[in-house]
Amino acid sequence: MSAEHRSPFPRNGHPLSTYSEEVVRVPRAGTLYDVLELILDRGMVIDIFVRVSLVGIEILKIDARIVVASVDTYLRFAEACNRLDLENDSTSRTVPELFGGSMTKSVGKAGAKKAAHSVGDKVKQAVGVGGDGDEDEDEQEEERPRRSKPARSRSAGSERTRRHRDED
Amino acid sequence: MTASGIYVYGIVGRSHPLSANAAGVGEPPAPVRLLPADDLAVVVSAAHPGLRARRRDLMAHQGLLMTLAEAGPVLPMRFGMVAPDEATVLAGVAAHHSEHVAVLERLDSRVEMNIKITPVQDNLAALIREDPVVRRIREETRRYPSYEANVRLGEAVASGLRRRAAAAAARLPAELAGTGGTVDDMRPGPDVEGCVLNMSFLMPRREEGRFRGVAERFAADHMDRLELRVTGPLPCYSFVAPEPVPARA
Repeated sequence: MSAEHRSPFPRNGHPLSTYSEEVVRVPRAGTLYDVLELILDRGMVIDIFVRVSLVGIEILKIDARIVVASVDTYLRFAEACNRLDLENDSTSRTVPELFGGSMTKSVGKAGAKKAAHSVGDKVKQAVGVGGDGDEDEDEQEEERPRRSKPARSRSAGSERTRRHRDED
Repeated sequence: MTASGIYVYGIVGRSHPLSANAAGVGEPPAPVRLLPADDLAVVVSAAHPGLRARRRDLMAHQGLLMTLAEAGPVLPMRFGMVAPDEATVLAGVAAHHSEHVAVLERLDSRVEMNIKITPVQDNLAALIREDPVVRRIREETRRYPSYEANVRLGEAVASGLRRRAAAAAARLPAELAGTGGTVDDMRPGPDVEGCVLNMSFLMPRREEGRFRGVAERFAADHMDRLELRVTGPLPCYSFVAPEPVPARA
């Protein structure tokens, strides 16, 4: 079974919106989840103050953080790895096809990407879906827009979010 | 709902402006006010019973501090600091008054920028070519395919990608430090699973553009190995220590 068959949303349907920023790897605008650990673990503490309950925060954190180290991920990596034919002449075609050379908008890349959700994916998922168990989050479905970040590819983000929502 | 304490957002200079409709944590959002403390002021609101770390409250904390930071230096508190009453707030701040003043001075016109770097998975061919361990396990897996062999191979791939990304990412701090005055200080952030680098940088607000330029160029140079996310400008969460944290290049 090939990687693209696993993906519920083959991305060749949205090549530009989905790939433009990934291909160029422009640093993306961060989300709340990109600074969650700073808000929670940095900043000043005054020892005679107490801290509000962080009950539930672990779920929020786990949602925001990557889960690469799963057997499922390993198996997908292995599958992708085994499909590579490095020696064969067709390498020049299959490799970029499979794993998205910088200019290739390929389904295979989406598969590999999906195999190991990037932090960004999980972040978007957490932001978009509000999967932290809070019942009061619906009104904040969309991340608060950052100032002076018009270049942020929201379409890519929402596409991913959709994808995850359907997956989960 | 009755207040059960005072939520503390941060410390600012006495004359720091505060928007009349500044909203804090809680639902409905608690009105925010300044509590004068000598030549400083403490940014506070009521803390309602049952207040806990919800996404909405985290964003309120962060949003308020971002707005405050635009108008002048702010000493941001860690999320969730609550005192039972005003007297305790004032006592807590007074105990380290001169340090707070020094830190505020240091943070004046400065922002924190955070960079996180994660591995990318789209260059398996290069990994196999260049990583002898992955190549060996792949050959073994091809000769003796099994579930366990595949797990082992995948694990080797994951750690190989991570190693490649980490090796490239390790060069970023030096590149940013070498940009001549763009960065005043840097400090590693807490470990974030999946990130090979999580680093915060203290810099003059006006240098944000230059900083982003360096980060973008770095990301482009290493796009086959890593993905880079820049977040900021942020309240200077990582630089509230009274003594400058030594920069590590």
